Amino acid sequence: MLLRHEGFRRLCLARDLLREQREPSPSIADLAAEVRISPFHFIRQFEAVFGVTPHQFRIQTRLDAAKHLLATGHYSVTDVCMEVGFSSLGSFSALFARRVGEPPSVYRRRVRALVQVPGTLPTVLTPGCLTLMCQLPSSAFLPSVRSFQEA
Amino acid sequence: MRIKLTSIMVDDQDRGLRFYTEVLGFRKKHDIPVGEYRWITVTSPEGPDDLELALEPNANPAGKTFQDAMFAQGIPVAAFEVTDIAGEFARLTAKGVAFTRQPLKAGPVTLAVFADTCGNLIQLYQPA
Repeated sequence: MLLRHEGFRRLCLARDLLREQREPSPSIADLAAEVRISPFHFIRQFEAVFGVTPHQFRIQTRLDAAKHLLATGHYSVTDVCMEVGFSSLGSFSALFARRVGEPPSVYRRRVRALVQVPGTLPTVLTPGCLTLMCQLPSSAFLPSVRSFQEA
Repeated sequence: MRIKLTSIMVDDQDRGLRFYTEVLGFRKKHDIPVGEYRWITVTSPEGPDDLELALEPNANPAGKTFQDAMFAQGIPVAAFEVTDIAGEFARLTAKGVAFTRQPLKAGPVTLAVFADTCGNLIQLYQPA
């Protein structure tokens, strides 16, 4: 698909609106109307550009907010669940566990055990990426075939 | 001193690895768990095996801000050279990739720009 400048701009706006996490949260149809794209094209174009549908993006935004609150605040899992817009603790916990790999209570306990300045994220959760290579086994740096031409 | 590694931030490492291998055609070289994240690198089958592109997590808030700003302004953060840009445009479009610029001659190159589904715009260029 080829997006013109205006269409691309509107999709970026939609992403910003989804990130705002307004209450009550707008339906996908409302969002499409707000950025003036038909719902059918909106969902398809959003997914082509951002890799997920608007609905999936909203869920991911909520989970990211939940992870942040669990790591930096003194909120209970229940408080965080409600704060980020889920109405059912059970479905929030199940979804969190599926996407993040551990239940919210376990995640909270684990990240809050890391030494940190209150209210900020531990630096291990926000790596400067190239420094990740410090934690690799040295086998990751074995010399490989020099180049396909020499092989 | 050698240039053997470069990197690009992705907002989801799973999706990044899938897109860069299954859609763009790069090959996974490393995928090693490191704490919360993974050290993921890819290489090009058209180039040397030890020239790697790392797909970094963008968890750093400053990184996210930078990535979002470049994206919203339509600025690509990486460029890959191709020998047949019209062919690549057709192939990637058929795979559902969204382009913001179709192949366009610009000075010594023909270039095109697409979204990589991970928060970045990427430029393709074919030298004349």
